[in-house]
Order: sequence, then C-alpha cells, then structure tokens
Amino acid sequence: MLGRESPALERSGSSGQAGETEAVAQPPNSISVRGVSYSVRVNVGPWWKVPLYHTKWTRQILKDVSFHVEGGQIMGILGNSGSGKTTLLDAISGRLEDKDSFFGEVYVNGQQLKKEQFRDCFSYVPQNDALLSFLTIEESLTYTALLALQKCSNNFIKKKVDAVMAELSLSHIANKIIGSQIYVGISGGERRRVSIAAQLLQDPKVMLLDEPTTGLDCLTANQIVSLLVELAHRDRIVIITIHQPRSELFRLFDKIAIMSFGEMVFCGNPMEMITFFSNCGYSCPEQSNPFDFYVDLTSVDTRSKERELETYSRVQVIISAYRNSEIFRKVLETIERTRFMKELPPIPFKNKDSPGDISKLWFLLRRITRNFSKDKMGIIMRLLQNLLFGLFVAFFLLRLTPDLEKGAVQNRVGLLYQCVSAPPYTGMLNAAALFPPLRAISDQESKDGLYQKWQMLLAYIIHFLPFSILSVVIFSTFMYWTVGLYPDPFRFGVFFAVVLASHVIGELLTLVMLGVVQNPNIVQSAVVLLNSAGVVVGTGLVRTIEEMPMPFQILSFFTFQKYSSEILIVNEFYGLNFTCGRDNSSTTVNVACPISRGIQFIEQNFPGALSRFTMDFLLLYAFLPVLAIIAILSFKIREKIISRQ
Amino acid sequence: MKKDPENISLEGASWSQDRCTSLSAQDSIFCSEEDNSLYFTYSGKSNVLEVKELNYQVNLASQIPWYEKLTQMQLLLPWNSGPDSHVSIIQNLNLKVHSGQMLAIIGSTAGGKTSLLDVITCRDHGGKIKSGHIMINNKPSTPQLVKKCIAHVRQDDRLLPHLTVRETLLFIARLRLPACFSDSQRQKRVEDVIAELRLRQCANTRVGNEYLRGISGGERRRVSIAVQLLWNPGILILDEPTSGLDSFTSHNLVITLSRLARGNRLVLLSLHQPRSDIFQLFDLVLLMTSGVTIYSGAARDMVQYFTELGYPCPRYSNPADFYVDLTSIDKQTTEKEMESLKRANTLASLFQEKIKDYDDFLWKASEGDSVVTTTSKQSSHSKPEEVINMPYHSSDQLPGVLKQFTVLLSRQVSNDFRDISTLLVHGFEALVMSLLIGFLYYGHEGRLSIRDTSALLYMIGALIPFTVILDVIAKCHSERAMLYLDLENGMYSVTPYFFAKILGELPEHCAFVIIYGVPIYWLTNLFPEAEHFLLNFFSVWLAVYCARAMALWVAALLPTLQLSAFLGNVLFTSFYLSGGFVISLEQLWTVPYWVSKVSFLRWNFQGMMQIQFTDSIYDMPFGNVTIKIPGKLVTKALGLDSEPLYISYLIIGGNIFCFLLLYYLSLRFIKQKSNQDW
Repeated sequence: MLGRESPALERSGSSGQAGETEAVAQPPNSISVRGVSYSVRVNVGPWWKVPLYHTKWTRQILKDVSFHVEGGQIMGILGNSGSGKTTLLDAISGRLEDKDSFFGEVYVNGQQLKKEQFRDCFSYVPQNDALLSFLTIEESLTYTALLALQKCSNNFIKKKVDAVMAELSLSHIANKIIGSQIYVGISGGERRRVSIAAQLLQDPKVMLLDEPTTGLDCLTANQIVSLLVELAHRDRIVIITIHQPRSELFRLFDKIAIMSFGEMVFCGNPMEMITFFSNCGYSCPEQSNPFDFYVDLTSVDTRSKERELETYSRVQVIISAYRNSEIFRKVLETIERTRFMKELPPIPFKNKDSPGDISKLWFLLRRITRNFSKDKMGIIMRLLQNLLFGLFVAFFLLRLTPDLEKGAVQNRVGLLYQCVSAPPYTGMLNAAALFPPLRAISDQESKDGLYQKWQMLLAYIIHFLPFSILSVVIFSTFMYWTVGLYPDPFRFGVFFAVVLASHVIGELLTLVMLGVVQNPNIVQSAVVLLNSAGVVVGTGLVRTIEEMPMPFQILSFFTFQKYSSEILIVNEFYGLNFTCGRDNSSTTVNVACPISRGIQFIEQNFPGALSRFTMDFLLLYAFLPVLAIIAILSFKIREKIISRQ
Repeated sequence: MKKDPENISLEGASWSQDRCTSLSAQDSIFCSEEDNSLYFTYSGKSNVLEVKELNYQVNLASQIPWYEKLTQMQLLLPWNSGPDSHVSIIQNLNLKVHSGQMLAIIGSTAGGKTSLLDVITCRDHGGKIKSGHIMINNKPSTPQLVKKCIAHVRQDDRLLPHLTVRETLLFIARLRLPACFSDSQRQKRVEDVIAELRLRQCANTRVGNEYLRGISGGERRRVSIAVQLLWNPGILILDEPTSGLDSFTSHNLVITLSRLARGNRLVLLSLHQPRSDIFQLFDLVLLMTSGVTIYSGAARDMVQYFTELGYPCPRYSNPADFYVDLTSIDKQTTEKEMESLKRANTLASLFQEKIKDYDDFLWKASEGDSVVTTTSKQSSHSKPEEVINMPYHSSDQLPGVLKQFTVLLSRQVSNDFRDISTLLVHGFEALVMSLLIGFLYYGHEGRLSIRDTSALLYMIGALIPFTVILDVIAKCHSERAMLYLDLENGMYSVTPYFFAKILGELPEHCAFVIIYGVPIYWLTNLFPEAEHFLLNFFSVWLAVYCARAMALWVAALLPTLQLSAFLGNVLFTSFYLSGGFVISLEQLWTVPYWVSKVSFLRWNFQGMMQIQFTDSIYDMPFGNVTIKIPGKLVTKALGLDSEPLYISYLIIGGNIFCFLLLYYLSLRFIKQKSNQDW
C-alpha cells in the first residue's frame, strides 16, 4: 500500500502552491464523507396489482460510504448503472429528497455545512444541459455571470467570461448560437463545456459533475475529462461520476472510487488500486483497460440466480478486504484529523455577490428577450395567431347587419361569444410552447441559488406583455372594423382592452398550471377545460345568469368570462337600433322581431349590466394581478415539490 | 456493518457469503459460453451481404423536413440550397460479410456509420447512391427483401410506455414469431431473451417515458434489442447497440452478439468507442472516418496492419481507441481539421492499394493465418443445450392479418388501461363538463324554454368534442414514432393497425360518452321517454366518435403535434361556426353554407332539436299573452327541419366513414415519422 505519497498528490500539491499564493499557509481544502447511508421506500408492484402496490420495500441506495478528497484532486466515481453514483453526488451536495433516511456526515474542511450553505459551496453540473437555444455562447455565459456576480462591474464580468471561455477553449466559437433539436447549433461536447463554464464563472472550489461524458463521442469525452483534470489541478476539488472511462484516463485521476450496489468497493489512487486488487487475487491483465476490468469485477451479474450469488459474494469479499485494508484505515484517520485540526480553514464558498431582486429580474428579462428575439418564426406566430383566428371568424360572418330577420342579434352574440372564448385559448398556446424550456432552466439555476423560480416567471410575464398587446392590437383592429361592430373609437378601445385582458389571463392561467404540472399536454387540456367551463358558466350567452341555479350564479362571479362578456355585450348593444326585414319602421310589433333596440336585449338578458359597466371593467382587470400572484405562489410550491424529489 | 441482503435482491434469496471464487479473474467475471442455455441457431440458408464500390451522397438541404424549413422561413428562399449542399457521406466502400461473421464498423461520430447501415437497410432518406450496389444473397437489396431477412436495431427505438417489459416482448412475440409457434413456446422465447439481456430485474416494470418513471435508459436500450432478437433473424444490424449501456452489460451484449453470429448468423454493428475487451470479441472490423475506409479486416490483425504502416499501438492502450483517435477528424480548428483530413485520406488510399488483389476486400496479415477464424469458430460452437431452430420460410408464416389485429387490439387496450392518469384526466373532463352543463340547466319543475333548450342541445354537441380532439391528437403523436418503426420493420401492416386503433378507441369512447351524455340528459329534464333518450344518446355518441375520427386523421396527416392541433382546431371551429347556432344557417354565405352541409355538429344539433321539438308544444310568453307554439315551428324558424331525422344520422355516419377513410389513407401513404420532442 502506497499511502499518500502518490505522484499525483505531489503534483497537485505543488501546482496548488504555485497557483494560489494565499493557499500556501493553509492546509488544502477538503471534503470528507463519513458513513453515508441512504434508502428509499418504493412500491413493489404497479397500481393495477393492488396488494403488491400497497406493500413497500426499502431499497438501500447508499450503504456506509466514506471517503476523503483534498484540493487539487480529481476523483472519479465508477460503477454500473444503478450502483448509486448519482445518489452519492446528490448526498454530497445536499440535494437529497428525503432527509429522514439519510445517515452519515459530510464535512467540508472539517466542518458540517448548514442546509443553505450547500448550494453556496458546491457547483453541480447535471447530466442534461439546460441552455437557452437562441443565445450565443458568450451571451449565455454573460447572462449567467450577470445573475451570479451582479455587484461586479461590466468590465469585470466581460473579463471573467472571456477567461472562462479561454479556459474551456470556447473562445473561437463564442458567437455561435447554441441551438436546439430543430435549429442546428453547437455540438454536444460544446454544450457540455458551456454548462461547465457556467459553473466556473463563480469560481467554485468544489465541482461535482454527473456523467459529464455521457452521450459524447470518445474524442470529445476525453477532451472534457482532461479539461476537468486541469481544472482540478488549479486547486479545486472535482468529483465526477463516469461511465466507460478510457484507459488513458486511468493515471489522470487522483482518486478512483468504485461503487457497486450502493457500497463503495474501493477508493484510492490508481497505484493503490492496482496493488489492492492484485493482493485480492485479481490482477489486471496488461492489455486491458483497468477501469473496465475492475468495474466488471465488482458487478453483480443478475442473469441467473447462481451467477448472482457467485458475483455478489465476490463483491462482498472485496469490500471486506477493502474495509480491513490500510488504505481505508488511513482515510478514516484523515477524516478524524481534519475534523479536530486546531485551526479549521474557512469553508470555501463560491463567489457570490448576487444583487437585489430587482436587478436579477432585469437581467432575466434581458436574457429572455434576447433569446426569443432571435426566434423570428416564434415572434410572427405570436403576433399573428390572434389575427388568423379573426380572419377565420370574419370569413364565416362577413359583415353584421342591423336587420333582425338576418340574425342581427344571433350573429352578434355568436361573434362576441367567440371573442370571449378564443383569446384565452391563444394565450394558452403561447405559454405552453414558450415557457417549458425556461422552466427547465430555472429549475436548474434555482438549485444553484442564482435566483428563485418565481423570478424567472415574473420576468417571462413582463416579457410577453408587449407581444400580447401588439398581437391583440392587430387582431382587434382587423376584427372590429371588418365585421362592422359599433363604429365608435371609444368602444373600439373597450373591445381591445377586453380582448387583451382575456388573452393575458389565458396565458397567466397556463403559467399557474405549469408551475405544478410537469407535462405541458396535460396543462393544455386542463386550461381548455377551465376555459370552456368558464364560458359556459360565466358568459350568460348560453344561459342567462338569472336563470341558473344558485351555486352557479355564485360561481359565475369567479369567472373572468362573466365580466368580459357583459362589457362586450353592453359595448356593442347599447344604443344600437335594429331593423326588421324591408320594413324599416322599427316600432311595429312583429313576431320575428320582438325587440327593436339593443338596450332591450341588454335589459332582457343582462339586467343591470349597463350600470355595472365600470365595475365589470375593474373586476376583469383585477384578475391580472391576482393570477400573477397565484402563478408566483404556484412556482413557490414547485420549489417545495422539486426540493423534496 | 451487517446488511440485510434482501434489500438488494428482489428475489430475496439469501446469500452465502463464505463462497470465494478461486477461479482466475477473467473467467469469473464473464461466464463462459457453455453455461448459458440460450443459443439461438439460425438454420436457414446462409446469407451473404455484399457492398461494392458504394458512393453515397446526401443533400443536406433535403434532410430538413418541409415544416422545419417553414419555421426557419427557408421555403421562401429556395436559391439558398446551392449544389454544394450535396455532401459525400460514403466514398468507395467495399465489404463482403457471410453468415457466421460479425463485422463491427468503428469510427468517430459523423464517420458515415449510421448512413451505411441505413443504406444497407434501404432506409436512406434524402440521400442518393451515386454508384455501386448492395447485394443480399446476390440479389440487390430492396425494402421487401430487407424486411424479410434483416433485423435492424436502431438508436431511437420507441416503446409503449405503459406496458411492462415482459408484456412488451410478449406482444411482439405474438406478432413477430411464425404462426407455428405455440403460446408456451412464445413465452419460453420471451423468457430466454429476458434472461439473455439481463432484464429479469425489470421484467415487470413499466417501460415508461420522459414523464413517467419506468426502467432506466440502458434497460430501455436492451429492451429494444430484445425486440429484434425475439424473431431470430438471419441478418442482424445494430446501430450503436452499446451506447448508454454500462460496461458490464455492453460486454455481455457483444458476447451475445458474437455467439449469435456463430449460430450461423450475420451480425453487423456500428460502435464509436469499443472497449478493449469488446474489441477482442470482434471477428471483422471496418474502420471508417468521414466516409472513407481506413481498414477492413480481422480485428486481431488491425494492430499489425497499422504497425506495418508505421503507426504502432502503444502498450496499455486500447487499439480501437488509439486508431479511432488517429483517424478521426479534429474539427476544433481549421488547421487541425485539414491536417487530420489529409492523414485520413492518405491512410485510405494506402488501404485501397493493399487490398486491391483480394476479392473479399479484407486485409490479410499473411498467408499463414488468414480469416479462417470464422469457419473454425463456427465449428466450435459446442453442443448447445437447446437449439431453437428457425424454420426457413419464416416470413411466409408470420401471423395472419386477423391475428395481428387481435394482438394489436389487446396491446392497445392494455396500454390504455394502464395509463391511469390519462384515463382519470379524460374521465374527469367528461364528468366536469357533464355536471356543469347538467346543473346549469337544472332545477326546473317544468321544461326549459325554447331558447334554453336549443342552447343546451348545441352545447351538448359542441363542448366535449373539442377536448376529445386535443386528447386524441396528443396521444397519436406520442405513439407515432413507434408506429413508424413497427411498420418499417414489417412487424404488422397498416390495415390491422387501423382496425385495432379504431376499435380500441371504442371502450374508452363509450365510457366517456356515457359519463358525459347520460347525466346531462336527466339533470336537464329533457323528454323523459326512453325512445327520445336513446335517439339523443346515439346522436351524441356518433358526433363524438366523428370528432375522434377527425382527430385520428389530422394526427396521421401532419408531422408535428402543433400542426395537427392547429388543423384540428381550424376544422372544428369551422364546423362549430357553421353549426347553425352561433350564426343562423340562413345567414351563412355560400362557402360556409356548404361547410354546414357536412358539419357533423350541425347535423347533430339538427337531429337533437328534432328529437326534442317535433312532438311538443311550447308556451311562449309574449307580452301579457301566452302563445302556444308547436315545436315544429321552432325547428323551422332555425332552418333545422330541412331533412327528416334519419338523414342526420346518415350524414354523421357518412362523416365518420370519410374521416376514417382519410385516416386509413394517411396511415398508408404518409410516413408516420415523428419529429415531436417535447
């Protein structure tokens, strides 16, 4: 057993000294993990097998894991899928859902972290890169920097972004668009590097990466790992989980941990590893990749019971050998020693002088606007979809007449009914298409503590307002004058305001649902359902409100459609005179024309609506702030749900 | 530190910890071949796959589907795509593989591996074979031939999310295995494949998708390989079978594949990063980079070949990694790119020189030990404990159309039934709508007024179909990719799928129409006689089914969810506006009037109005007097008495028939490829 005098350690120690002058006096930063166990309870069977579904079994995901890493070292956690690698990273970074079944301690520089300190200390790069698809790399990083380090000057941020891009060799493609599945942009390896760069902006001393090489081709994967090794040697602690590492990387890692079924089979430097396994009777053949060999050695083969038994017992033998070994004893000793050092070095927090909420909101808004402003098709769709709908209705209706026999009332009511029910629907389509990617990013960045989910939501709401206004302006200008609604500029203004409110309410409602429901398709159907229900109950176009049963009358006060339809009806019918066939004398009582003036229609179907006009208007607009607040609450709930998962 | 072993094993077997293996390491990691019972042998005629001087070009512009161009507004600028958008993907490629051989195509990404496999399986879209030809058993490859004898495991397989792994495989076994297999044989085969691919642990777990937690990514990958292994084909083609698998599983998978190859089968696979232990399992290797062949020959001769060229492989390193890196095109900077491109081209021309004397296009080390390995290996497959013989005329005996139909039907019904959340959401939608409308018009001792009745009847017809349309479109799009692959694989044909789909919708449809239609009718106190009720219910049933048929058609017609939803919306709104309630029928000008002639909402409305009004007399308060109005006058005033009642049913039925016909035609003639990714 070689102990701690490995060449890797010496090298890292010296580079650490060369890199950071103030680090000379202090002992290096360290992370110690002692006796970490974690288990979850899961249902045995699917829901349709009722007895099985209700019995639960405890699945041990981590079992008594201990290790110790110091500054300047990179540790690779190996293991097959399901061996608990990702859970171990989650455990270190304090991101585990259920704290009750978590045992053991995580020390940073010998001190246990408080709950809120975790995210300020660790940088976590998750497996999937959530990036905005229309920004360039430089913009993307600059906005992240602005959000993370707002107290710094723009000049400093620019320098910082340039430095990080240079460090990750992204400088030559700084102005490339990131892209999405549809829109071709940078490659997978470059995306991964952008994600890592975004974390580096905060100068973290501890970086955790979950499967940074998965989904990349071998050349790129190698580049990424070599890059991480370099990062580690600049006095950082880097811990990665890795899947199929190549043999060249074997010597690059300072520490290698192998996980199997939640247990740490071995953790130590590469030389120790070879010696240890040789002592156990398994020496690595010279021509094969040691990573592969040892991982295979410690896997449990579940293809048949006998194989399972055999391989499992082999793993157990190796584990007990490791636990009795000198290496493991030294790890425990080091952990104890760092804990009881005379002078504990301070916890290495990330650079974090995030500014006030207002400026965060401002940066988020700029980022969203910048991103969507490059999506030309998206903008055109958003501006014109209301108009498309208007064209459609106008095509069927052509022009309204004052002639009752030609359906003056019926057609008007039908048109207003459409104007009440369709704008929320288009609003829903916007939000359901545009917001989910932003939501994915805010989920990730709020875990890093850059901002909170509701701030992203609020920025999005502010962002879409001008689009909504413009889109509704286009729609109502076309609709109002083509179809021939009451020709009066003030009434046109009212019409516009009502349609705008409905459109925005539809969008806000969708955002509320998106906060608590993950699947956008379900959100869509739910909003459609709510909207139709609101139209049926609230408008009084289907049935006059007075005739409804009492609960529905009360319910109708909570629908925005009640107010919007009342306003639109009064707006259109007040002061309107009807004709009846060719006979223009509107005073004659005719069976086909029971009414002759619009006001009669209002009195019959919406009694009192005329006097409630202003009130209705205020109530309709009151829905906007109320829904915005509910949406914020819904994203606060989301924060709770996600942190428990 | 004592752990309960049952936490680990689902089977709950207790382990004896005292057993310590004293075998040598390499042997004990992977079980040797003999102790595994599964050994499929292909007993058909041996197959030969030959590719001669293939040059293949792709027009990059035509790879982008039209609707994506639309989103980038490139349709308006057709002159953008100059002649330079033709990119040569494969240049002058030769290969010849026999049954019993396993050829691994290695190379860095974008080396043309996937394209080559696509060309071989006739799935090249947008590309053009400039010269050369592909022969399967000396016949040029055609899609029919490919369907018959090649199983293609692709990178992007899709599975039904709500079935368990075992069920997925059982359904496919019923579809894909020849008719002569008994049920117990099919089950045996499924169990064998599950054991072979180490899926036992998750055999009873749902497959899942991005919204539904199921099996892990690696497991899903193995399930899609299992799907192809099930029908035991003569030629097996796998595109990156090990990506996303952990090392242990991928090693075992390649062992399986090489064993399958030795069972008189032709195995072709592409890999970008074979591990050293996997590399040692290959018989033949084809190293490609940017479309050119750098090496093709026995795997173990590769190091020797490159050593002769002056590129020896360093010790302790994986030859596959080393040579893939050596030949890959480094696109980080232009200089590096030029340099590596030049090196690759030199190596390729050197290789062409060396093999020009051989007719099988393989490099041989020396005369002494050439590629007799394959034949010697073939004879070495020692006494399999069980040989499943595959009848030669397998494809002729696939289950008949009727059988396919029943299997598909039960598959669809069980998948839908498992999807509890969607079922609940849809049921809830129907119930909410029904109670909402029902109670809205509830509370009347007498009957509803004329205005209310007509509004109610129109609402009944118009509210639920819209949500149904959205739901059906979303669901069809989630299944679209799987349907495409199944059809491409020739697992079943369109006709049984079509019938299974439209019949499979019926249980759900009936349940929802009952939930929706029945409460409304009684709550709102419409005509209480059974006859009226049944007529009314039937009309609603037909109208909702018509909406379903329309949604199925729209979903099959257009490539993305957004476009389908948009068209569905447009169609529905036009039927809605011309339905006779929102705008009176007489006021419609010519075009909408025609639309109203085929609008199922209008005929539903008309039918229901006639049912309610024809036999009744209404009291109409008019000033101080009450006038009795016969119901017929009401329908007449709305222009809804043009045809007798049965005509309404006939027209809605005709509508359904047309939509279903269109759906069938769309399924048949439009590629059901999915490009929807959220």
